[in-house]
Amino acid sequence: MARLAVKPLVRRHSEIGIFLIGAILVVYFSATSGGYWANLYNFGTIMQQTSTMGLMVIGLALVITTGEIDISVGSTFGIGALVYLWLALRVDPVLAALCATAVGAAIGTFNGVLVTRTNTPSLIITLGSLMIFRGLAIALTSGFAFSIPYKQRGAFSYWLLGGDTLLGFNTALIWLVVALIIFSAMLRLMPWGNRLLAVGGSSDSALSRGVRVDRIKLSAFILCGALSAFGGVLEAGKLGSADGSMGRLMELQAIASCVLGGTLLAGGRVSLIGALAGAFVLSSIQSYLVVMGVAPQWFMVLLGVIVVAAALGDRSLQQWALRK
Amino acid sequence: MASSQPLIQVKNLDLYFGSFHALKNVSVDFRAGELVGLVGDNGAGKTTLIRVLCGLHAPTSGEVYFDGARVTTFHPKLAIDFGIETIQQSVGLCDNLSIARNFYLGREPVKRILGIPFLDFRVMRDMSAKVIRQFGLRDNVSVDDEVERLSGGERQSVKIGRAVEFKNRVVIMDEPTNHLSVREREHVNELAVQLKEQGLLVIYITHDIFQVHKLADRIVIMENGEVVKDARTTEMSAEALEEVIRHGGRVVEKRSAK
Amino acid sequence: MKKLANTQGFSAVIGVAVMLIAFTVIDFDGWWTANTIASVLQFASILGILAMGQALVIMTGEIDLSVGSVYGLAGVAFVTLGGTLGVPAGVLAALLIAAAVGLLQGLAVVRGGVPSMIVTLGGLFTARGIIYVWTGGSVRAFPEEARNYWLTKLLGGNLFGVDAPILWMLTVLGVLSVVMLKMRFGNRLLATGGGLASAQSRGVRTGRIKIAAFVLSALLAGFAAIVTLSDDPQTHVTLGELMELEAIAAAVIGGCLLSGGRGSLLGAVLGALIIVSFRYELIALGAPSAWYQTFVGIVLIIAVIANQNLARWAMQKT
Repeated sequence: MARLAVKPLVRRHSEIGIFLIGAILVVYFSATSGGYWANLYNFGTIMQQTSTMGLMVIGLALVITTGEIDISVGSTFGIGALVYLWLALRVDPVLAALCATAVGAAIGTFNGVLVTRTNTPSLIITLGSLMIFRGLAIALTSGFAFSIPYKQRGAFSYWLLGGDTLLGFNTALIWLVVALIIFSAMLRLMPWGNRLLAVGGSSDSALSRGVRVDRIKLSAFILCGALSAFGGVLEAGKLGSADGSMGRLMELQAIASCVLGGTLLAGGRVSLIGALAGAFVLSSIQSYLVVMGVAPQWFMVLLGVIVVAAALGDRSLQQWALRK
Repeated sequence: MASSQPLIQVKNLDLYFGSFHALKNVSVDFRAGELVGLVGDNGAGKTTLIRVLCGLHAPTSGEVYFDGARVTTFHPKLAIDFGIETIQQSVGLCDNLSIARNFYLGREPVKRILGIPFLDFRVMRDMSAKVIRQFGLRDNVSVDDEVERLSGGERQSVKIGRAVEFKNRVVIMDEPTNHLSVREREHVNELAVQLKEQGLLVIYITHDIFQVHKLADRIVIMENGEVVKDARTTEMSAEALEEVIRHGGRVVEKRSAK
Repeated sequence: MKKLANTQGFSAVIGVAVMLIAFTVIDFDGWWTANTIASVLQFASILGILAMGQALVIMTGEIDLSVGSVYGLAGVAFVTLGGTLGVPAGVLAALLIAAAVGLLQGLAVVRGGVPSMIVTLGGLFTARGIIYVWTGGSVRAFPEEARNYWLTKLLGGNLFGVDAPILWMLTVLGVLSVVMLKMRFGNRLLATGGGLASAQSRGVRTGRIKIAAFVLSALLAGFAAIVTLSDDPQTHVTLGELMELEAIAAAVIGGCLLSGGRGSLLGAVLGALIIVSFRYELIALGAPSAWYQTFVGIVLIIAVIANQNLARWAMQKT
């Protein structure tokens, strides 16, 4: 019967919800904005924002899959941008990007080691690192902005790292697609992914089968840090400059994207493409509000409500799908 | 036929959880080729003891020897590497994964493409299905189904099949007949004896002293974190052992001797 | 010694002592002035009230990330409505709004099954957004007559030479301590956080306890805002920003075990004292204000790790 077939489908593909919502919203926004929302330029902007946020979202989704959380991703994003911009003035941008990503990985290591070695909730550890690195970012820039001078902005490596477009879309999108493919493959098709999902489902059971739970969690934190920092690199590449407050408040949007996309906060169930769809939906909503002249603060209100509603809805949906 | 050098030796083991004294000066040996019944009431410490052997807890004091070598680090991976397979009660399966993925968790079969390890799904599906169907998994359940959907008996089948597939030197079974039908219970008990005859050490935890007495070479009775009796089944009858348990102040569930 | 260490809040007392010694050594003249001490005590009292609310929530095994925004929202409500409808109405409105937010969040956590981190993170943003929308970014202030109103003076002024916030904090501390130690509510609160299943099996209505904790946390945040603004009745959109992090840090430093079931109200207040003291000392030493945030982060992490280890050590057999 069709009803029976739907339930396993919903269970296995938790991202169905967000795609449906996304489709409905796209139609609605296009219809009600008189061409201001649904044009290629605006779309390009939405995709660029989704892309840089999207890398962070992928990293965060990996951490959430293990049953932990990392709310310092916004600070790491900001640090990545700042390190990149500071170094890009002095060395080859590609090297600068690599260093920035490495710094992100180091922050991830910091988080991961503290969480796994001290048996402290990841919420508090990453709350602490959020403050530490945000403060560092502000202190080191002393309120000034770093930027790349115009003459350097034409170079190839600059283009590669989010500085310009390919076929009308910011190159960050290419990176996002690459990251999506690689990490989806790692999650579903490789032993590491199997173990990551197991740790999120039941870390005790995974441990009893010999899985090195601590190492798996640490690897998730490191990847999250690296991806967040690289997202910052690409954002800095696009904007050409950054100040100490970059990345601020992005963590909520990232968490909301994951939850909207069907990633279970308790761990063990994740959909990277769903999370990205969630990021896209949020960026679209934000863009729509701008186009329609609504005060941007409403987005904050909306975001808060959406997050809770999405989490509630996700739970209800999953419970419905679980009933035999 | 049991060998002479103990495979696993536990000497003066103490384990505290905070201020709770879970294991008290436990000393016991286990040999290859023997089936040892570990019996005792709830809270006696049986599960706690094997969790130490599995590497899940490190002792507060005392020593554990595998093959004569002292164990210095306690981690399940090391226990598995030594050759210990387990069927545990409350842990062992991840609900969000399929049967096949659970079966191979921690030792996934891979095929390498350009040097990168990819899960070999065909091996995972075929082999896990083949093994578990022997243990009662009906055909209407696919190995791609999530474990969450399985009944208690089906989950037990998965755990048992898995232990049989990956058995190495030691198989520890904690209440393996839970949730199983009468016929399935017999199957599991026959299996335990077969494993012993193949030269493995089998540690069988249960409440049912009468049942395990028929299978085991030795019975170890625990109570309140201590070993109170360690006797060969040829030396003491089940009734006598049951008296020991009852004498310790606790009554163990008794099945009719008939 | 272990028994003493087991007393919740022990680490906070040690922390305060160490800190005072350090400050005395580093900056005797700058630190021990009447002005500095008065300011520190006043702000520490405000944060202390917030931290106590947070401590209650943490003791039930949850967390409340929205207290800073609730503080801001209640503050805006108090000043805006108090100016137009009269101070008592303003107080009532602010407290009601705060309680409503707390209730909504509690319900979402208990009935909706959404993790408290998510609910309160959403609450943080929603409330902050509402502040922006309500005030339109502008600053509000009390009219002259409201400033001189008796209630305003009682809440925010000076009594016998002691700043009102300090007295109010002590009042709250006293009342809550009595509730926690002497009344069944306190017992049930700790039981809920210490082991949900066993508490439920003993008949504790853990759902109601948790909701009550969230409501109290929000109410205390609202009350703290009222007390602050009674003293200096003008608002700005960033009112309360970062305070939730500070409140959590204070509660944690004060000895709440984050898995719930343990905690100390006095410890939370002392934790607030430590945090505010550090901020003032950093400013006095001329450090850029951004370092404060970094510093709180470091202290938070060290404190929580130390607390977990201390608790574990104290629980081991002697």
